[in-house]
Amino acid sequence: MKKWIPIASGLLAGFVAATISFADFSTKTNTEAASSTKSNAEKVYVPFGEKDDYYLFASGGHSGQMFIYGVPSMRKIRTIPVFSQDSATGYGFDEHSKKLMGGYTWGDLHHPAFSETKGDYDGKWMFATDVGNSRAAVVDLKTFTTKDIIKVPNTAGPHCAAFVTENTEYMFLPTRFAVPLGQKYESLDDYSAKYRGVMSAVTFDEKNVKLNIGYQVALPPWSYDLSDAGKKGSADWAVMTTYNTEESTTTMEINASQADRDYIVLFNWKELEKMVKEGKYEEVDGQKMIFPEKQKGGIYLVPVAKSPHGVDVTPDGKYFIASGKLAPAMTVFSFEKAFKAVENKDFAGERNGIPILNYESVMEREVNPENALGPLHTQFDDKGMAYTTMFISSEIVKWDPKTGKTLDRVPVQYSPGHSVSAEGDTVAPDGKWLIALNKIAKDTYLSVGPSHPESMQLIDISGKMKVIMSAPVDPEPHYAQMIKADKIKTINVYPKDTKNKDAVYKQSETKIVRKGNEVHVYGIAMRSRFIFDAKSKRPDVIEVNQGDHVFIHLTNIDFDEDITHGFAINSYDLNMEVQPGQTNTMEFTADKAGTFPLYCTNFCSALHQEMNGYFLVKPKN
Amino acid sequence: MNDSKKGSKFSVTSSLLITLSAVLIVISMFFPWWKMVFYAPQYPEGLNIIVYPNKLKGEIDIINGLNHYIGMSNFSEKNFPELSYLIYIIGGLAGLTLLTAILRMKKVLYGLIGIIALVGVTGILDLHFALQRYGTNLSSKAPIKIDPFVPPIIGENTVANFITHSMLGTGIYFVIAAFILLLIPLWKDRVR
Repeated sequence: MKKWIPIASGLLAGFVAATISFADFSTKTNTEAASSTKSNAEKVYVPFGEKDDYYLFASGGHSGQMFIYGVPSMRKIRTIPVFSQDSATGYGFDEHSKKLMGGYTWGDLHHPAFSETKGDYDGKWMFATDVGNSRAAVVDLKTFTTKDIIKVPNTAGPHCAAFVTENTEYMFLPTRFAVPLGQKYESLDDYSAKYRGVMSAVTFDEKNVKLNIGYQVALPPWSYDLSDAGKKGSADWAVMTTYNTEESTTTMEINASQADRDYIVLFNWKELEKMVKEGKYEEVDGQKMIFPEKQKGGIYLVPVAKSPHGVDVTPDGKYFIASGKLAPAMTVFSFEKAFKAVENKDFAGERNGIPILNYESVMEREVNPENALGPLHTQFDDKGMAYTTMFISSEIVKWDPKTGKTLDRVPVQYSPGHSVSAEGDTVAPDGKWLIALNKIAKDTYLSVGPSHPESMQLIDISGKMKVIMSAPVDPEPHYAQMIKADKIKTINVYPKDTKNKDAVYKQSETKIVRKGNEVHVYGIAMRSRFIFDAKSKRPDVIEVNQGDHVFIHLTNIDFDEDITHGFAINSYDLNMEVQPGQTNTMEFTADKAGTFPLYCTNFCSALHQEMNGYFLVKPKN
Repeated sequence: MNDSKKGSKFSVTSSLLITLSAVLIVISMFFPWWKMVFYAPQYPEGLNIIVYPNKLKGEIDIINGLNHYIGMSNFSEKNFPELSYLIYIIGGLAGLTLLTAILRMKKVLYGLIGIIALVGVTGILDLHFALQRYGTNLSSKAPIKIDPFVPPIIGENTVANFITHSMLGTGIYFVIAAFILLLIPLWKDRVR
């Protein structure tokens, strides 16, 4: 008798059952390919069902928004409202975003900056600055929504963030326009004495999702332009360009272009942080303000070719490259040499109480590609090669920072401001792609009249540079950052928040509560109805008295990806959205008596058109 | 060992197989027994109703949300009292199986096989009637009117834009394996 037969057959039965149930027979296909044998069309074609390799976050300039594109397809995926109202998402209408906007209706979003860990994008947060109304914002990359905005005092037009420090310790906001402290009235005749170009060190409390100001620095009344944080060996330092060191107060086009040299401000933020800890600051408008002429140390000036725009730190953190927009040359400076000059007090005098380093002591080389005009901004590839946009000669020049040799150049259409390479601001750029952010599109697309969109041109940099795609974009990307798609981990639905007193997750728990002349509605939205009070004869009707202060707390109980509902009250100028699982509040005074239909604005289902009710306002008397 | 005893008792090997069977029954309780996957053009990834002996899993809320369009009542654990006691029945069967292994009496084994077969048939009928209840008892006020239907226990069905696939779960395969293990001694220790 072979005893093992039944045992073996028993085990086999079990294993077969387990295999049928657990085995994963699906096959994975590898979509990534950067084969140089592909045609341009094949390189940018992302077939339906597949996704782009990179996200591009482009600033939306005076639209106050941020635009999200996929790369290499250059398809636009999303608009994130940040500093401006957006009725498509109800941004600036619901309570939370209305508060964030702080009474402003627009912004000028210039420089997006990813949060970083060890000098690499970590895909968690995106920061942005507002030149229009002096604010800074943070966007949560789990939901692609704006979470906090801070108004920065004493400053007027923070042009660019310092692309955050290596571990997101600070985001630096230098100001483009100098103003008196507290933005008080002062005659322009007293410009040099009374005006300041304040730089703010903004901190981010990740746990509470709150922006704050660590300290400010009352820099001279110059205009501060671009900036970049150091990396690796230079991680404690940051650099920014400044122009109008002439301190002119009118017709800047001429008057701020007189001096042959302007400066790069080189500062050690660790040292400034230490000074603040030691109390070496003055209190100004509730801010800790360092005055460099009084609290000495940590800030130096490096002479640079006139009216510089970009300053960019190489991925290895050893050099910073400045481009003078009116000078044809780029200058490569050495951090190491700068540190040595600081140590040896190798100064060429002072400006406004700040030591000036000797140009010759810090400069590594000047790079002057033939006939290249208007260098603005430099990005890097995986081999450390530099790509500089030439605004005036309308091209991108590839060159080697170590030798200064020009390697390649490609015309772009037209007038590129910034460019962005894949992960180009990190300690480890990816290479592959560069996108030129062009200010002028002119004849590129179908004509839409005298004014045209901006253009973003995709350049393959895996071999000889080649423009392979052009995508129109609304005004106007100043700068963009490109991140590997797999670094971003979005959520599908908002999780239930049982601690949120405004949230209702069950139809039966919906209610309308009156407290004096305050009316609180705790309602739900679901396919395809609103329920404000389940026990009411008409659960989708809200009835109030004229003059009542109304709060509508609405929870979308469709925990189903992309089933977003909208909520608008006709003729009341109100609209908001509730994303799947989200609770949102709308607050207003019912000052108009009458009958106002309310309805779902975000197409949600086959019976979306039936998703409505009434907001009734009984007249006084 | 005399002949008559040989006829009524089964071997140690068989006893071990039956013990293994009891173990498989216990294991089965931790796995889903049955599931239904709903596919629609908007849900290429599929929505699941996954039935464990003691709970429902899957995208039940979403399915309920969609089902209200055809006037189907909500799936919930509350509507399936079976889920509150089924686990004890299965546990009891596992206990009986273990007892059978210890007693090693053929008559007990016959009885056990009979009970399990009976419980199994009852379970299948129960599921069938539940599906019938849901598919035929549709609200007359539903926005989308469809003909009553009964989804199969195994197989495909089409309702509006949804195609449903009903299938057995891992747990039931363990039970089937357990049942096969119970049958083996009948053959192995047959009187020759």
